[in-house]
Amino acid sequence: MKSIDDFSRPEEYISPLDKHFRSAVRAWVDKEVMPHRRQYDEDWKEHTLIEPAFDTLMSNKGLGIQKALFPADLGGWGLGQSDYAFTIACTLAEEVGRADTAMAVAFMVTYWPLTTILVEPHVNRRLAAEFAPMFCNSDKAVFAALAMTEPQGGADIENMELLGGKTIRTTARLEGNEWIINGHKLWPTNTAGVGQLFGVPCTTRLGSTDPNDFALIFVPANVKGVTQGGPYEKAGMAADKNGDLWFEDVRVPAWYRAHGPGKDAQVFKEIIPWGLVGSMGFLVGAMMNLYEVLYEFASTRTYGNRPLKENDAIAGLIGRIAGDIEVCRILAYEGARIGDRRNRPYGHPLYSEEVLAKLRNLKDFVCDRAVENFGRAMDVLGVYGPDREYDIEKHWRDIKIIQLWMGGKQLCQMEAARYFYNCKTL
Amino acid sequence: MAESALELALPEENGGFGWNSSARAPGLAAVLIEIGRADAATAYLSALQFTTILASVTENAAPVTPFISRLYSADRPVNPALILPGPSSLAEQTPLFFGRSINVRLVRDDNGGVLVGKNIRPAGCGAIADHFCVICADSAGKPLVAFVPADAQSVQRGNILKETGLNACTNADVTFNHARLPREAILEGSDAVERIYLWLNLLLGAVSIGAAMNFFEIVYGWANTRTIKGGSIMKENPLCASVLADVAEEIAIARFLTDDLARLIAMMAGPHGTDLRTVYTMSQIVGYRVQQGTLRAVNRGLELMGSAGYAREWHAEKHWRDIKTIQSYLCGVGAEVPVKIDTARFFFDCKEI
Repeated sequence: MKSIDDFSRPEEYISPLDKHFRSAVRAWVDKEVMPHRRQYDEDWKEHTLIEPAFDTLMSNKGLGIQKALFPADLGGWGLGQSDYAFTIACTLAEEVGRADTAMAVAFMVTYWPLTTILVEPHVNRRLAAEFAPMFCNSDKAVFAALAMTEPQGGADIENMELLGGKTIRTTARLEGNEWIINGHKLWPTNTAGVGQLFGVPCTTRLGSTDPNDFALIFVPANVKGVTQGGPYEKAGMAADKNGDLWFEDVRVPAWYRAHGPGKDAQVFKEIIPWGLVGSMGFLVGAMMNLYEVLYEFASTRTYGNRPLKENDAIAGLIGRIAGDIEVCRILAYEGARIGDRRNRPYGHPLYSEEVLAKLRNLKDFVCDRAVENFGRAMDVLGVYGPDREYDIEKHWRDIKIIQLWMGGKQLCQMEAARYFYNCKTL
Repeated sequence: MAESALELALPEENGGFGWNSSARAPGLAAVLIEIGRADAATAYLSALQFTTILASVTENAAPVTPFISRLYSADRPVNPALILPGPSSLAEQTPLFFGRSINVRLVRDDNGGVLVGKNIRPAGCGAIADHFCVICADSAGKPLVAFVPADAQSVQRGNILKETGLNACTNADVTFNHARLPREAILEGSDAVERIYLWLNLLLGAVSIGAAMNFFEIVYGWANTRTIKGGSIMKENPLCASVLADVAEEIAIARFLTDDLARLIAMMAGPHGTDLRTVYTMSQIVGYRVQQGTLRAVNRGLELMGSAGYAREWHAEKHWRDIKTIQSYLCGVGAEVPVKIDTARFFFDCKEI
């Protein structure tokens, strides 16, 4: 019998640690998440079931995965210095996404702002040492968030190539040796009381497109003036809490700025490839679970008194779904490899118009395939498709937001057009 | 709302408006579009009521007519649940309705018969139904339709299911443990099953169009008031406008198709009406297309709304979940394949599928 591990990956790209990471995380998924995930939707507000599961994945009480990016001498695993950081991220996203994409998003977004100070070549050693104890010495899951989206601009903040940060309304003003931050953010993953550390994109001069006026500043959640609203109720993604986040005369040390003028804008752009590769990993993981459910259903349920999978027309349909999973998995690891070849011979910088266009293309493609295939799989299950007990419908609700976030489908198309057609005004 | 809709389809002699005729198909579809715009689950219930009434008390009067009329003449809304042919398990060889398994058996006797079926999945409403409209088969494998009160002792409901959408149509599996049926509760003939499908395809199409139309209103408001690229109104951006056009196009086509199907069904009431098999096949084609189209409209519109479309407070995601649930119910099993097979069989005279 075939299994999810029969879907192809470019084996020459895979980390030597892949097998060990994968088996540890899969064992955690099968023990801590799979038996409970059908109850997560009702747990969206309290996280009574979800929080203990995160503790056993992220904290020292369990796998301790939240410290992975920190340097080894600060108590971490040193993955920020690894040549396989993207590939391992893809593996983790895939394994957790197989069970619950919301859990995968919530724990991996913790890494997202931290990549700007922990991943070579942009390590900020002082900030790494400052925040290492928070993540490396805890028996509880500790979450970080990247607070980007603002009420007035939606995804404009991620459209740095065109807008250069001019729509940002969250301000940072230097007073003595402190930044004073004011602003309002919407929707960051790991807010609504979850996040303990925020990476906050700000402007030091309203309306400016000068990269030197863009600031990425770290703000602990317990600083005076930080207010987190309650969680939004959503179509799915219950394990990922999103809410409003207000900063009112919030003061943090001046050295909590990631790197300084110019370089902050650079590292902020570099987070986009991480988000795109992670998104593909989440989707491939979810589709691998789709395959597991569909295999069982199509083997044991009938049409015309024969197994569904033995009907030529239905076989054609589910065969196409398996083919899409195969292609999407290969593409996800190709995307990860682009990230891992950053600044290497024959590689690309972590951020460039070319890298951005290519990764957005890949993410857009994988999103479309996932959205369509989950919809079709629900229909294959027919009257059982909307039933939570068959797990497909939960993935169907959860993964739609992956297509919508990070500027959504249309920004993917614009980035691709700009690069491939040399568009000047888009 | 569901109560007043129900009265439309009841015969006049039973206190209804007397729209119990195929000729009323366009009007009934229009009513469901309006209800669906407010709430697809309420419209879905009305569609099931209309379907069960119209399959049994139209101009093709059947012995079951008085039974159905009495059933729906209560002073309160009467909720049906529909059990359609669908998947079966490997352990069983079942009678088939065009490839779909009929999982409930009718054992006939002199007074009517008894109904047998274990853990059967209704197309919604199993937990709240006052009666079940069951497509079943007799010992010869002949498809027919049976109406079973839900409060009969030999009818047992399972646990409430958590489903994607249609929250007001709470569902549960049902077991018929030799449920006794009088002869008047049995609608004979495979024609009756085809009639149920053609009404379902029309009326559930109308429900989804109604939901999609309200989604259009939501997206209109969004695209008219939100900006992109630092200040441009969303709907004035050519790329966003082309997505908005997709939303409108899918809804418009779905509405044209549904209007045409309604007219086709209405013509069945006249002397030169199209034959049932033709209308059944057309209804399958249109029903599938309308569900696909309305869902695509919502999927595309959500792309522009981003996270807001995904949040419950905007009501957009509710339409998305409701339409998807209707689509999956209507598929029964195997996605679009049963409809494709029906279509190929009709147009290409296939003999073995």
